Amino acid sequence: MKVVPFPKSVDPHDEQSFAAQLEAALHGESGGEAADHWRELRADVRSLAPPMSPQFERELRGRLAERTAAPSRGRRRPSMRGVIALMQAWLGSGMRARLVAVGGICVMAAVVALAIASPWRASEPSSSSSATAGRVDQLGPSGGPIKARAQTQAQTFSSSSARAASGQTLPAASAAVAGESAPTRVQQRAASITLAPKPAEVQSVADRIAQLAARDGGFVQSSQVHLQRGSGGEANLQLSLPSARLSAALAELARLAPTRAQSQSLQDITDEYGAARSKLADAVAERQALLRALSRASTQGEIESLRARLSLAGGAIARARSAFQSVARRGGNSAVEVTVLGDAHAGSGRSTLSKALHDAGDVLKVALAVLIVALAVLVPLAILAALVLLGWHASRRRLRERALS
Amino acid sequence: MNSHLSSTEQRPASVAQESLDRSAFERLFRECAADVHGYAISLLGDRAGAEDVTALAFERLYRSRARLDRSRGTPRAWLFGIVRNAALDELRRRRRRSLGSHGAEPVEVGEPSQAIEQAERRATVQAALLELSPREREVVLLKFHGQLTNGELARVLGISESNAGTRLHRALASLRQTCAGLDREEVA
Repeated sequence: MKVVPFPKSVDPHDEQSFAAQLEAALHGESGGEAADHWRELRADVRSLAPPMSPQFERELRGRLAERTAAPSRGRRRPSMRGVIALMQAWLGSGMRARLVAVGGICVMAAVVALAIASPWRASEPSSSSSATAGRVDQLGPSGGPIKARAQTQAQTFSSSSARAASGQTLPAASAAVAGESAPTRVQQRAASITLAPKPAEVQSVADRIAQLAARDGGFVQSSQVHLQRGSGGEANLQLSLPSARLSAALAELARLAPTRAQSQSLQDITDEYGAARSKLADAVAERQALLRALSRASTQGEIESLRARLSLAGGAIARARSAFQSVARRGGNSAVEVTVLGDAHAGSGRSTLSKALHDAGDVLKVALAVLIVALAVLVPLAILAALVLLGWHASRRRLRERALS
Repeated sequence: MNSHLSSTEQRPASVAQESLDRSAFERLFRECAADVHGYAISLLGDRAGAEDVTALAFERLYRSRARLDRSRGTPRAWLFGIVRNAALDELRRRRRRSLGSHGAEPVEVGEPSQAIEQAERRATVQAALLELSPREREVVLLKFHGQLTNGELARVLGISESNAGTRLHRALASLRQTCAGLDREEVA
């Protein structure tokens, strides 16, 4: 019996030297008794396993030859199981690969998010436009008479839409306000519009708004302009414009500078108008009746009494006429609130290139926002999936190792 | 010594540095089939199981040849990783212990005196291997059948290279002590 010794020249506790000597001996790179003993031990261990039977070797060779004869069939159309196995093997090839996998999932999530975001963003203006169009259909064309056919007592419509920074002007929302109202109805209209010119243009835009109001037959009820060096100025103007010119005036206002927001409202005041008119008619009729009675009066006392009542009736007529005129003015003129905000990024005078760059920035911002939202959802899912996969791998490995226990 | 051992005494390296195309695969089969079978039969303990595992390992290797990662070792090491996993799966299924009831088959040697000495020595080695723990036995079998470096052993076992070296060192030390113990018992 020959016991296989450890090489005497190597410290048995020095694993590195031991490994080097063992490798050198097994690869035939070293000689001597110790190396021979290692090689003998290897031969002994290997000889304990019976050799492969020639029949099995032939069969296996034949099976593998069949497999290798048509290698492309399986590769051209990998089965789902094969793909999963491929992914599992790939993910199981170390921490770096797992990190790459998680990164890949995130990139895929980003691509999906962008794919989702693009049509969403593209459809946003169109949906806004369609909503505006819907309002136009509902309310009729612009510039209609004060008296409308509409039967609603009070209708308020407001439209507000953020304007794209490209400088594109919104369609004249004034067209949204009722124009084809029935002549028997009286409607009060109001509008507000926010313009965003460059900060240096705030004053000039405010001046042009005032000119526009005067040209359209309206006037500026109040005006407040605040300019500040180094930051965007601001101006607020309250206009009173003929209702018949409201739509056209809003369109002209929108052309002065990029429109950031715009809204319109409409309120039916037919009843109030009718009441004021009736009151005025009643007062006039009363005065005429008093005049007729005065012409028929014979006594001094009766004459004085009728004159006193005529005086009162004159005051009532004046008040009723004033009230009627006020209601009529509200129907005939529209209150328009114009806000001018200086915007350093306003695109009214910018070149196409800067607009494009600004648009690209906006697109990137939206994409980034969507990406962040998508990542907020998908990254935890990806981490969870990676943990499950790692756990599954660890569990499978533990089960395999347990087979040796 | 078995006839297949002589051709693989030195570690084959012809397929180590090239892609695993059809010809390389066939060459790998020629060079490693006997070692794979020997490792499997040593681990599983029966010929039928070893043949199943050997066939399965080569088929899996061929299927997965596209994702063979050269940075993680040679095709030979990759193959022995597959064999080990398949054998352990088979062991797990069968709940059998490695190195079962098969015995060393008769070997052809030159001199009768050498044959007796060799047979005695191999019987001692076999008995000593059976005395080792399954993990120690596995690393010895993997080292001698697979002819893997410590780095490749580490990748196959899923442990660090230093850990693999330590495990191999301890396994061989245990083998040596067991052999010595068996030798003393025989002398006594």
